[in-house]
Amino acid sequence: DEIGLIPCPEARYNRSPIVLVENKLGVESWCVKFLLPYVHDKLLLYRERKQWLNKDELIDITCTLLLLNPDFTTAWNVRKELILSGTLNPLKDLHLGKLALTKFPKSPETWIHRRWVLQQLIQENSLPSLVTKGNLGAAPVERIHRLVQEEMNVCSEAAGRYPSNYNAWSHRIWVLQHLGKLTVKVLLDELSSTKYWVSMHVSDHSGFHYRQFLLKSLIGRTVTDSNILIQNQMVNEQNPSLQKEESAGAEAACEEEQSVDLPHRLEEELELCTELIDTYPGHETLWCHSDETLNNSHHSPATSHMAQPMDVDGLNESSSKQSYTQETKRLKRAPVQDSLGPEMEIRFIDKVLSTCRDADQTRFAIAYRKWLVTFLGQ
Amino acid sequence: MHVGGEVDVRSAYCAASVASLTNVLTPALFAGTAEWIARCQNWEGGIGGVPGMEAHGGYTFCGVAALVILKKEHLLNLRSLLHWVTGRQMRFEGGFQGRCNKLVDGCYSFWQAGLLPLLHRALHARGDTALSMSRWMFDQSALQEYILLCCQCPAGGLLDKPGKSRDFYHTCYCLSGLAIAQHFGSGDLHHEVVLGVPENRLQATHPVYNITPDKVVRAVMHFLQQPVPGLEPAG
Repeated sequence: DEIGLIPCPEARYNRSPIVLVENKLGVESWCVKFLLPYVHDKLLLYRERKQWLNKDELIDITCTLLLLNPDFTTAWNVRKELILSGTLNPLKDLHLGKLALTKFPKSPETWIHRRWVLQQLIQENSLPSLVTKGNLGAAPVERIHRLVQEEMNVCSEAAGRYPSNYNAWSHRIWVLQHLGKLTVKVLLDELSSTKYWVSMHVSDHSGFHYRQFLLKSLIGRTVTDSNILIQNQMVNEQNPSLQKEESAGAEAACEEEQSVDLPHRLEEELELCTELIDTYPGHETLWCHSDETLNNSHHSPATSHMAQPMDVDGLNESSSKQSYTQETKRLKRAPVQDSLGPEMEIRFIDKVLSTCRDADQTRFAIAYRKWLVTFLGQ
Repeated sequence: MHVGGEVDVRSAYCAASVASLTNVLTPALFAGTAEWIARCQNWEGGIGGVPGMEAHGGYTFCGVAALVILKKEHLLNLRSLLHWVTGRQMRFEGGFQGRCNKLVDGCYSFWQAGLLPLLHRALHARGDTALSMSRWMFDQSALQEYILLCCQCPAGGLLDKPGKSRDFYHTCYCLSGLAIAQHFGSGDLHHEVVLGVPENRLQATHPVYNITPDKVVRAVMHFLQQPVPGLEPAG
């Protein structure tokens, strides 16, 4: 379940350089300079049609190559061909990638290939006539859910192995978008499962950015759903005879999702920030995250008591773009929430300023305070 | 980026750069591209690899430069972008970081600092009267100090930060960043700030294509004189 290179510049004993201990694979470093060129050249000769390799040899060679250098795109592409011809089980590539990532947690080509494989797998899901080896045989929804969970694990491991691992977190977002379909359940699950992780990695901007992505997706969801609710209401008003059986189903689903209680989530997030800022002075990421969370809570229509249909429409557009514009900021003038009041934040900042001794912390606090004051003044 | 490969903002820049220099840029070729790039700008103000991703110096440069080529930079929130990129210059080191809370890296001397000329031009086109007529909106001297003092390999070549080894990529982008930091504007408005001895002076680089401006002109002129290629493959 893990690979690594054992620093061992000379072959002192006449024995294999492969060491397997408790399911962890080690390769003594002296052999790499022989092994890598050997498999590399062999694969290239095959590609140039100068030397034939059968399917099993190809699988072995690419496997070895990729564990030594997972950014060798050609090797992944050979495996793509094998998968498409039905000779190679795509799940094997997920496993191979996972193994490679234990040593090369950033490897861009590994993540890219992983997304290709996942795309193949979900296509198969929608075409049950295709026979795949190693099909788990479970219901498609269950299967996808398991895939998602596994990807979350892989991302988490890789994120822990390299600070601010952009590729790992990007992949995580991609999986939620394309496999998880950004359902409320998935978003909430991820929010709770990453809470501990980010608290242990307070400078990991990517981790906190992920939480912003989750929160914004939740906001977007709630807006869309309340839009549907409002539209349903308007339809029902116009056609009272239209029995609500159809819309009731949709409404019930929406209401279930409405029970997300966004203000509470945002408040929790702000509390998390405050706690971490207090405990670990001087981390810009935390202040950044705090800024943006407060911004979300102040401007989200889901947290305002009365969302007018027009506001919601305008917001729907911009939140689905997931971009933040000055214009949007001015448009969304929701009533201030007492519990999330900027006044409370200012009290917090003043407390930080009076008690902290870290120069960076002071600087962030002052900047944040300035921003808040301007913000309140609007 | 290549057939069956990843999709991100870099490819938009590569395509726009090549197409504009070779005179094959058509609205059809880039239909929807500008809008897609704009969606890559996030709450931080910078631009990520694809919509939804964390803001990142490399992707931000590619996105903005591509939009400049497509003449659609105003689809972005230029203020939040300016706020983000200026926040990326490190107050102690003088160099730039690629993302919030990360370490300085010599290559961002170009990816990040290179954004300021682009922004300057875009804001100027919008009629902004507060813009300087002699400096970019970052500390040019501090960046030059970082590059010259911390990013040089004694055996030649440049690097990410002290302790790292040299490579062509860092050599290219440290030098490109140095050129950006030394030269403001062009023509009548050109203003130089060269730190250290006069021999440190580099030629100015074009902030969109990162080759010297005369090469840009020559390329454009050359391809303008060629017949525009048809869609059918040759031969």
